[in-house]
Order: sequence, then C-alpha cells, then structure tokens
Amino acid sequence: MSDVPAETRPGRSGVLGLGAGLVAPATSLVVIALMFLGCDLLIPGFVSLGNVMRIAELAGFLGVVAIGETLVILTGGIDLSIAWVVTGAGCVFTAVSGGATSMLVPALAAALAVGFVAGLANGLGIARLGISPIVMTLGMNNIMQGLTLLYTNGTPTGGTPPVIKTLATGYAGPVPVLVLAWAALAAVVIVALRLGRGGRKLLGVGENPLVSRLSGIRNERVITAAYLCSGLAAALTGVLYAGFSGASFLGMGDQFVLPAIAAVVLGGTSIFGGSGGYGGTIIGAFFLTVLTTILAVVNLSAGVRDIVYGLVIVAALLLNRLSMRAAQ
Amino acid sequence: MRLVEAIRRSEATGPTAMFLVLLAVVIALKGGRYSLFDAQNLAANVLPLALVGLGQYFVILVRGIDLSLGPVMSVSSCLAAVLFPYGAVPAIAAAIAGGVAAGIGNGLLVAWLDLSPVIVTLATMSVWQGVSLVVLATPGGTIPAGLQMALTAATVVVPVPILLLIATALFGAWVMSTRLGLHLRAIGGDAGAAEASGVRVRRQRFAAYALAGTLAALGGLYSAIATSAGSPIIGDSYILPSIAAVVLGGVPLIGGRGSPVGVVMGALTLNIIGSLLYFANLSDFYQSLINGVILIAVVAAAALRSWVWRAVPA
Repeated sequence: MSDVPAETRPGRSGVLGLGAGLVAPATSLVVIALMFLGCDLLIPGFVSLGNVMRIAELAGFLGVVAIGETLVILTGGIDLSIAWVVTGAGCVFTAVSGGATSMLVPALAAALAVGFVAGLANGLGIARLGISPIVMTLGMNNIMQGLTLLYTNGTPTGGTPPVIKTLATGYAGPVPVLVLAWAALAAVVIVALRLGRGGRKLLGVGENPLVSRLSGIRNERVITAAYLCSGLAAALTGVLYAGFSGASFLGMGDQFVLPAIAAVVLGGTSIFGGSGGYGGTIIGAFFLTVLTTILAVVNLSAGVRDIVYGLVIVAALLLNRLSMRAAQ
Repeated sequence: MRLVEAIRRSEATGPTAMFLVLLAVVIALKGGRYSLFDAQNLAANVLPLALVGLGQYFVILVRGIDLSLGPVMSVSSCLAAVLFPYGAVPAIAAAIAGGVAAGIGNGLLVAWLDLSPVIVTLATMSVWQGVSLVVLATPGGTIPAGLQMALTAATVVVPVPILLLIATALFGAWVMSTRLGLHLRAIGGDAGAAEASGVRVRRQRFAAYALAGTLAALGGLYSAIATSAGSPIIGDSYILPSIAAVVLGGVPLIGGRGSPVGVVMGALTLNIIGSLLYFANLSDFYQSLINGVILIAVVAAAALRSWVWRAVPA
C-alpha cells in the first residue's frame, strides 16, 4: 500500500511479470514431490491414490479460504480476520440449518451474509478510511469472535444438511467431491485473474496504486471487492468445514490463518501486492497440507508440531526469497 | 508557563487525559471511593500489557509489527512456572532468555533477511505457541508465594506494582532519550533518509525486535508471578491488546512518532475500559468484541482527523 516506501517494493520480474510467480511454485513442486517420496520411505505405501486424494481433500478447505487471501494480498493487503469469520459463518450455518435440508438455502444465505458483512466492513475501513489492513482485520477478527461467542452463548449448536456433508466428505468415484468443487472454483479464479478485467485491475492496484488511479481505476472499489471476496471465501470454508466435521465448534477457523497466508506467499505472490496468482497458492496449499499430514503421521506432540510447522514455514519463506532474488 | 508548554507539546498528553477521564468515571461509579489498594490492583493487572505494549511500540516505531509477542509471553510464563522449583535465578533468567531469543530470531528474519514482519511473526507465533505447550502443557506450575506477595504487595508508601508500572514508563522514556531511540524514530519517519544520514537501519531495526521480545518476556514473567501460575495460552489474549495499547497511546501505525508514556497510558485505558464492562454488567464475551471496536475506532478516528485537516486549508 502507499505506506510502503518505493525502494522496498520488489519490481516485477521476468517476462509478463510471470517470473516471480513461477520460480517459487516450481521449487515447491519439487519439494512436495520429495516430501511424498520421503514419506513413502518412512511409511511404505504412503503414496497411494487414496492417500493423495485424501490430502487433496484437506488441501481443498485451505485452498478455498486462500482464494480470498490471494486476492487481498495481490492488492498489497492482508486478511487476519479469517479465523473468526470461518468460525462465525460455520456456527451461524449449523444453528440456522439445524441439519435440515429444507433450511439449506436460508442457512447458506445467513452464513455467506456473515462473510459478506465482515468482508465489506474490512474493505470499506481499509479502502475508504485508510486503516492499515493488519489493524482493521485483526480488530475485525476480535469483533467476529465476540459476536460469535454472544450468538452461540459459548456452545455452538445445530448440524449440517446432508447435501453439505456430501459436498465436504463425499466421493465421485476415486475423487472427493470437494476436490472437484475446488477445481471448478480455482479455474474461475485463475481465469478471472489472468484474463478478466477485474483481475487486471486487482494486479494494477497492488503493483502501483498511483498509476492505477491515474489510469482511471477506482482503487477503493477494487480493494473493497477483494476483502469482500475474502469474507465470502472464509464463510464458505466455514460452511464446508462444518460439513466435514459434522458440526461447528469454537476456534474451528484458527487453524486456517497462518496456512492461508503462508500458502499465498509460498506460492510466489508478493506480500507487497501486484504480482502472483492463485495457481501458486494451490501449490502452497498442497505443500502445507502434506506437511501437516506428515507431522500428524509421525506422531509428534501438539507443541512440537506447532514448532516444526512454524520453522518449516520460515525456512520455506527464506528459500522462496532466495529463489526470487535469483530470478530477478 | 514552561510546564504548561511542555504538557501541551507532549505526545503523551492526549492518552494521559483519556486515561484520567475514564479513571474519573470509574471512581464516580464506585461512589467516589478509590483507595490505594484499587490503584495497586489496577497497576498489577495492567503491568503485563504495559510491558508487551511497550515492546510492540518499539517495533511499530520502525514501521514493523510483531504478532508473536503474545506467545512469547506464554513461553516466559511457562518457563518461569516450571523452573521456579529449581530456584528463582534460573527461572527468571530462563524466562527472560526465552524472550531475548525470540526477539533476536524475529529481528534477524525481518531486519537482516528482509522478510515481511507480518508473515514472519505469524510463523514464529506458531513456533512460540508450540514451545510453551512443550514446556508446560496445561496452566499450572509453581510460583513461590513470597515472590508473588512481594511483587504485587503494598509497601509503606507506594505499592510495588505502581512502582513497577512507573519504572516501565521511565524505561521506555529513557530508551527514547538515547541514540537508539532517536534512530528508531528516524527509521520510522523515513528509513531511506535515516540510512543516508548514517543510521545503521538494519542494526537498529533488529534492536527494536530484540527489545520487544525481551519486554514481552518480562510481561509474561510478571503475569506468571502475579497469578502464581504459568499458562501456555496466556499470551494469546495479548496479541491484539498489545497493538491496541500502542494505538490508544497515540502512536501512528506508520511509525516515527508517539511516546512510551503514552503507550503505558494506552494500556491503562484499555484495562479500565475492561472494568467499565464489569460495572455495566456485561459478559466477558463483550471484552474481545470491544477491544476490536476500540482498536478500529481509534485508528479510524485518526484517519478521519487527517482527512478533515487536509480538507481545511491551514
């Protein structure tokens, strides 16, 4: 954003600005392949179709919430409010539907409305009032936490209709339904970012807000739309994850904050905005999900898992940094 | 007259006035009865936030942010609670060393390796949450009752927590009066210009993060002593308040300005708003909601004010 001094902004690298966005994912692909092979040595039979599909399914939840984070980070912002937007939307969804198919549409509408309002408020605060994205979304996270606690009175209730359960846990042949849905969403996002007018505006605002404004783009609208999408993506994740778990629970969104942001950045999108895309985020989401799976399989305590997870992300950030530098 | 001028120009005046007004409201709600004991409790409650807020202040001063300071508090609180049976010296030394190490780690990654502070401290947040769980899986441990009494008790004249709170503010003011303080301000104002005028930007930025980790550790240590237990999750509830205290203390998030005394006043203000909730008979669920609203409202108010100023030609 305009706070960042010009000299700290990395320039676009490579032809058509694709350089930085491709090098890092290429590295991660190699790393992911190595991780799979390493696991296969540790646990014979780890690389099976079923296991890979299972990991893809888990990556899907992260992938959906990371759609919003990708759009927001492309504008040079960040969304720290996803933890309690996911939880709030999940709790509203299960409470309104009560597990009944007849209530599916109102419950879905209510859950998405939670994400819509939170995202719109974030966007307006950041784009119109010029509040720093970190502060606005951190504050919104607390507000959503308080509202969720008040709404549920501390104990979420209800259930998820069968349709959502199927969407979150069902299989179409060997492929999880969620992976198909994620693939469809991903295709829309990638095409919209690469070819759509909105995508060009988003990248333009992130790369240089002044140039973008001078060329007639209404920056405020673009930025607000990005946060709005992020709120909706988080709410959708809340609904899907409630379907996956069979219920909503307090703190269900906490596990997504660091991974969603890390997936975007490790996927080669610049944290300063303006370059990158959703393709890299998908690879980042896979990388982090494989990591989580490995940490679960080797049976470490929760504390050690947190430590290793954080350290691997730091290491990956450093590698990413080095490979981007090499590309420039 | 000189005093009046100094007060008018001080960056801490606004936050101090805000705190005093809210304090007056609380005193009025208590029917005019406010003893030294109440003040002692307020100081003991606010001290961890004041310490971690001061740490966050140094980082924000150089246009950074440290989301890991809360979990760093947890680490030092757990280390202290686990190690006190082996003596006060190793416990306190380990608790502080944990914070120093955390600060150095963040400082290296942000200042020397040029990684974004948000994402680095989000990742190290996970690391420190993990470390505190490894050290102490559930709240507990042992804190010597004598130490707890000593650091939360009244003395003949002024209660210890009040003295410690004043010491925190004075420490902050002292740092800002040194060359380091001057350089931190300069970096926040314009890092390029600071570099050009001979400030070692990387080294001083690193120092800001290291100092922040250390202060957060002291905050965690004090909270363990005051509550006579360590907790692996105590720090999570300080992540947003540490930033809110800085913002309420009149420090702009683009760095370069603001006073440490203001930050301590910001911490006091946040704490006293919490006690107003108690008087309003609202559930604890409102606390995080209201913290979020305050944080956004203060920053939005600052943004609106600068809008109005720009609209009205000076």
